Amino acid sequence: MIDFLDVCERAEQGPLMTERDFEIKVFMPGLREVVKSYDVQYDRESPVPSDDAAADRVYEAAVDFLAKVGVYCKDTNRVIQFTEEEIRDAVASAPGECLTGEGKDASVFRVRKPDEKAMARCHVNWGTVHSSQEMAVDIMTANVAHPEAKAISISSVTNTLRGMRVKAGSPLEMYAGIRCIRVARDACRRAGRPGLPLMNLVPAAAAAVTTIGASAAQFGARPSDGWIIGIISENKLDYGAMNKVAYLLNWGANVGSQGAPSLGGYCGGPAGTAVVNTAYFLLGLVGMRADYHLCFPIHFRYGCCSTRDVLWLVSTSSQAGSRNIPLPVIWLGYMAAGVNTKMYFYEAAAYLLASTTSGADAVKMPTPAKGVKVDASTPMETKFGIEMVRAASKLDRQAANELVIKLLEKYESEIPTAPEGDRYQDCYDVRTAEPGEDYLRLYDEVKTELVAVGVPFD
Amino acid sequence: MQTNEILENLKNAVIEGDDVKAVENAKAALAADMDPLQAMQLGLAKGTDVIGERFERGEAYLPELIMAGETFKAAMEILEPEIKRQQKDVEPLGTVVLTTVKGDLHSIGKNIVATMLETNGFTVVDLGVDQGALAIIEAAQKANAAAIALSALMSTTMPGQKEVIDALLELDMRDKYRVIVGGGPVTQAWADEIGADAFGADAVQAVELLKQLVKPTR
Repeated sequence: MIDFLDVCERAEQGPLMTERDFEIKVFMPGLREVVKSYDVQYDRESPVPSDDAAADRVYEAAVDFLAKVGVYCKDTNRVIQFTEEEIRDAVASAPGECLTGEGKDASVFRVRKPDEKAMARCHVNWGTVHSSQEMAVDIMTANVAHPEAKAISISSVTNTLRGMRVKAGSPLEMYAGIRCIRVARDACRRAGRPGLPLMNLVPAAAAAVTTIGASAAQFGARPSDGWIIGIISENKLDYGAMNKVAYLLNWGANVGSQGAPSLGGYCGGPAGTAVVNTAYFLLGLVGMRADYHLCFPIHFRYGCCSTRDVLWLVSTSSQAGSRNIPLPVIWLGYMAAGVNTKMYFYEAAAYLLASTTSGADAVKMPTPAKGVKVDASTPMETKFGIEMVRAASKLDRQAANELVIKLLEKYESEIPTAPEGDRYQDCYDVRTAEPGEDYLRLYDEVKTELVAVGVPFD
Repeated sequence: MQTNEILENLKNAVIEGDDVKAVENAKAALAADMDPLQAMQLGLAKGTDVIGERFERGEAYLPELIMAGETFKAAMEILEPEIKRQQKDVEPLGTVVLTTVKGDLHSIGKNIVATMLETNGFTVVDLGVDQGALAIIEAAQKANAAAIALSALMSTTMPGQKEVIDALLELDMRDKYRVIVGGGPVTQAWADEIGADAFGADAVQAVELLKQLVKPTR
């Protein structure tokens, strides 16, 4: 099997071409060809399909696609190529699990299969920004207190330091990167979960130098945590990403590849995006030596993951990966609507039903308000998410499909004008960290509605 | 071939992304003594209109936009020399310098905007990604741009948009350029805070806003 030094060599010696040529002459035609030849077709009537053969064709299309196209290195302007044999070798050699966390909070992050009744792993909290450190700590502490929480995405805390806005690649980003790890460790300790793995390191860091610097052990990071290294959309890496991989491999820490293909961008529609999303699992294995993967295929126009076509590609790609690629994947969904809105819960329910029944190994609690509003997350969404994952884990794809169709009727037409919802301090008592009565009432109402459409809550 | 047939073929060539058909019919237009500007406006441009409408309805995506744009350019390589010879140049709507700001490598949204601006009659200078304020301003000066469009996809790179506007103010050049901002975490509130002229929530809106903000150049 090839190793990471082979990948580094190919970044220096692969075919030379401009990025534009890679996009237009290699990526787009290569994808068009495999979508056609493997007959990958979007079915808008079945957002959660139950077609194993179709899922396997998406997997084969993804293997063929990655072998045809390779991955573009932006720093050397060369294409890193892999043979089909090397890709299949990486799949065959993958362990299918990784070890995360410490002590009583240690756990094995393993793969699941579609229709599997074991509960999907719950990954709590979000890498979002708050207006105060105290708020970030209160929310993280409440989120990780759930015994079902097996991992956390730590908050970026605030986007300022001493009144100065944190900028990518600046010294302030280094301070922010170190701070978010220390604050998260403190929050986990407060909740009695000191060994819980931090799996989205380092959220406050855009630059590689910040990620690597903030990850030094004296600031609190452990090799049993997990680092997210983004594949640049679409099908590209750079030396920043590869430097992070090199550092983590030398440390023996968990490498998390991340893919976020854009439905509507270079991938085209849902069929092409499903193939690319699946190819990113393979790229994580063969090109980045990933121990796990995090993905959020996203609609380019609406900036969310709850549209019908994205739900279809989430389900399809999850099935393709779960059935064929032994790499644990965290599925992250951005919802259009925000906190303290019924629409958020409809979207989150649909997303968790689609992903969980399609074999998602882990699901992150769906992010409100597309993840762009400051203070727009509360522990209520975590409580709901865990209850929803438990309910969804009882179902198969066919049952989930029927429920998702009913849920889409409730929110689909509202996506372009989704309500951005409240901030934490608008619907929670910030002193006691308890939800307000209005939010509790809305929560009860929406759960009653969901039970009425057939969601099997405990 | 009849004029109407040639125009229909040019339109369909763009819709289908068929360079060969587009070039053949561009040559046929010239051979038939058609007005080359009309061939562009009533043939090729009708095709980009169709693709643009499909894109807005979610029935076409970036690959179709790019293919339509490339086919349009292929045909224009045949028609443009004749348009110039007949001194019938169309005024572009304006020049827009477009980039993703410093520290940010995301490009898809920016590329969608670039393609749509070009097919809507703007001249686009695409600086790519990870560009600092002074480099952007220098490029705008060199291109005699009317507008600067700035994309940021992370909350830690959004300050790069403010830096461009602050630099324009410091250099006493703020009035020279209209500045529009966009990208995932960018909001109207942020655009207002940093003194941008407009916020484009998506590519379609960005193009419409720029049409309102920019006057045609001579």
